Amino acid sequence: MTGSDDRDQLLRELAFWKQEYDALGARLLRAQDAQSRASREARRSRMVADLISEAHRISNLDLAAEAIGERMLAKIVESFCERGVLLKEDPNAPGAFVVEHAIGLPAGQRLTLPNPPAFLFTASDRPPEPPAAALTGLLGVPFVLWAYEGASGRALLLGNQTESNIRRPFEAGDQELIRSALTVYIDILLRILAEATLRQAKVAAEEANAVRARFLAILSHELRTPLNAIIGFSELLLQTGTRAPAPPQREEFARQILDAGRALLALVKDILDFSSFSNARPRLRRDWMPVGQILESMKRAFAAESALRGIDVTLEPPDPTLLISIDYDRFRQILANLIGNAIKFTAMGGRVDIAGREIPGQGVAITIRDNGIGMRPEDIPRALEPFVQLENMRRHSIPGTGLGLPIAKQLVEAHQGQLTIESTYGEGTCITILLPEAFTTHAAPARP
Amino acid sequence: MIRTAYASDIDVTAAVSACRDRLGLAAPDLLIAFVGGKHPRDAAQRAIADAFGPVPLVGGSAPGVISPQGFGYTGFEIGLVGFQGPDVTPVIVGTHDLNAGERAAGVGLGAAVRDNSMDGQVVMILFDSVAETAPLRLHPGSQLMEGFQEGLAGRIAHVIGCGLLTDINISDGWVLNRTAVSKHCALALVFPPGLRAETVILHGCRPVSSFMEITRIEGAEVFELNNQPALTVVEQMLGLELGTTSGQQLSLVATLGQKQGDPFAPYDENKYVNRLILQANPAHGSITLFEPDFAVGTRVQIMSRDNTLMLESVERGVAALRARIADANCLLGLYIDCAGRASVMSGAETEEAELVMSELAPSFPVMGLYSGVEIAPFAGDYSRPLDWTGVLTVLQRET
Repeated sequence: MTGSDDRDQLLRELAFWKQEYDALGARLLRAQDAQSRASREARRSRMVADLISEAHRISNLDLAAEAIGERMLAKIVESFCERGVLLKEDPNAPGAFVVEHAIGLPAGQRLTLPNPPAFLFTASDRPPEPPAAALTGLLGVPFVLWAYEGASGRALLLGNQTESNIRRPFEAGDQELIRSALTVYIDILLRILAEATLRQAKVAAEEANAVRARFLAILSHELRTPLNAIIGFSELLLQTGTRAPAPPQREEFARQILDAGRALLALVKDILDFSSFSNARPRLRRDWMPVGQILESMKRAFAAESALRGIDVTLEPPDPTLLISIDYDRFRQILANLIGNAIKFTAMGGRVDIAGREIPGQGVAITIRDNGIGMRPEDIPRALEPFVQLENMRRHSIPGTGLGLPIAKQLVEAHQGQLTIESTYGEGTCITILLPEAFTTHAAPARP
Repeated sequence: MIRTAYASDIDVTAAVSACRDRLGLAAPDLLIAFVGGKHPRDAAQRAIADAFGPVPLVGGSAPGVISPQGFGYTGFEIGLVGFQGPDVTPVIVGTHDLNAGERAAGVGLGAAVRDNSMDGQVVMILFDSVAETAPLRLHPGSQLMEGFQEGLAGRIAHVIGCGLLTDINISDGWVLNRTAVSKHCALALVFPPGLRAETVILHGCRPVSSFMEITRIEGAEVFELNNQPALTVVEQMLGLELGTTSGQQLSLVATLGQKQGDPFAPYDENKYVNRLILQANPAHGSITLFEPDFAVGTRVQIMSRDNTLMLESVERGVAALRARIADANCLLGLYIDCAGRASVMSGAETEEAELVMSELAPSFPVMGLYSGVEIAPFAGDYSRPLDWTGVLTVLQRET
């Protein structure tokens, strides 16, 4: 072999090894890239498992239902994409969605998608389907992945700006992932909502039990007081011989028994009324009545009691032509409760002002205003609940079952009216009955 | 005193609040904040200002944050470094002129550092990597650092730093610059003279081709390798269908590496400067690199990341660093980690950042971030931007 042959041989060998080196290098590069892609795909596949794990963790955190969406979405976006939103469909407007939770854009945005598809995606290598524009527009990125579950009205929309590096193009195979993610979210959401409902029901039941216990305590007291009077005075009446009551005492004892019996009857009537109104709205027999007439009649009915308690009850004379359509007995019951309460909760020397006015465009407002003990703001709604004896009442040793206002409210609502309370603690209370315009009118002027 | 804190929460206010509680410095003299890129930037800046009051704040976006207390790249992480006392608190100088020319901005920044330092001081540079998003254009760190070196005018500095990103997909990047959130901004944090730094560069790429010569290049766009269209060469290597490679499909898959010194010396990871491929340009048959610092005649090799090598490099590099530091003198560890080294990109079964933290096992505060480009002293030369590396620096008190 010559030196030239050796050199040619070496060059051939060099070319051979260079080619082999490059080929092996290329295989290594491809293998590395394939391994990276496979690893990323595996991470994506683990997303649902991670999501279930996160859902389990979240469900133990005692979070509100609203708080879980963002956390679940963060977990999805972390594994899968750059942006994401969870949407809720308006149950009254199919296809109208609102963004409940968002990462990468503000929440609260709206999306209208008639006939929302169960699954949709966009990618650079396929023409976009018609609804895609609304979805890419919402997220502000060209590549989106969408899943929708009609039964719950929930949807998940994910998006990417690019299809490179760690964000590969979306594909049909992603359907299982995104739908699973959405299902996990819905499941955990419904579970937490159900738990919240159960908790609320438990609280309501406990509250109802407490109310019932309070009612029984109040009721037994309210029943015992007149019954004790009836039994006690009856025993006194039955005494004979030297201990027999004198005729004036007999009369007084009989009056006490009568008063206690009437009080007992009123109490039983209240309870029966409230019970029946709770089951069904009372039937009304409406008649047109002048407002002034019924208010004047009620003022007269309370004249004795107000005089006894030293309370000045005034009536601002209403328009004599103003008529309201009411059930006379039931409306008197309302006014009796309200005026009675006003007198009861006003100290001696105080005043109760009654008025009935027409409010253009609204109807007729009847107000009973006192300058009594008043209520704290937090007590006002409670005063409308049955059997609630406010701390204020207890402190002032004012008897009562607490049924008067709830019954009045039920009856006002049966008249399709509204009962509102304004009160300032220590200054007084103003209760307004607003009867709608449809039940008010004016009588024709009297002919000369 | 230097303290660090890490937290991750989708609510930026909650994340900042957790960091504030963990930092244990009520009124630091300076805060560095690395903010996960999914957090809204203005909200993040406001949350930090609300939590700490009128404290000078620098830092910026990060695809993720790394600390011994935890790490992640969900985009919801926050990492804080709080400085208290003139003996540890860096002086801040900056430029907003990157968009007018990175080199000139670098010259100005280098001159400002020169005016505020003495030889041997440690400098950390932070800048937003993404200049424009459509089409994607980066602020080239190589031009910034060339200018910076010129501006230093012979001043010797230990310079580390990074280009900031919002996410691994290079969507954007921004800088926290005191009371503002800035773009096209570079900051230099000049640490006090009593501190010195030890730095190691962790690698993870190996050559997978023979040497090729760049035969045509304009800026960062390489048109030809060995007189063939550069894209064709890379596509053939990757086994892609020729002429179909689009957009960023090649991005972060392969790099071009330039071997320093004797080209036929045995493989040494420390001898390579790697440049990531930013995008492929099928219309030109070219590829665009992260940096425009190669030229016609530069001999390069196509490099592939190697996860095993990456993790071995971590073990070697951290061990070497530990041998050079004494924990008692260490004040702060800084880890600037190429976002591509995260497992979600590299496919490594072990998270490289986690390995760095466990190997370092620091008894001193450490804070790190995922970055777009890493800046570190290279091969005894001035600091250069590097790709696909991890730069681990420990600041120590001068003894």
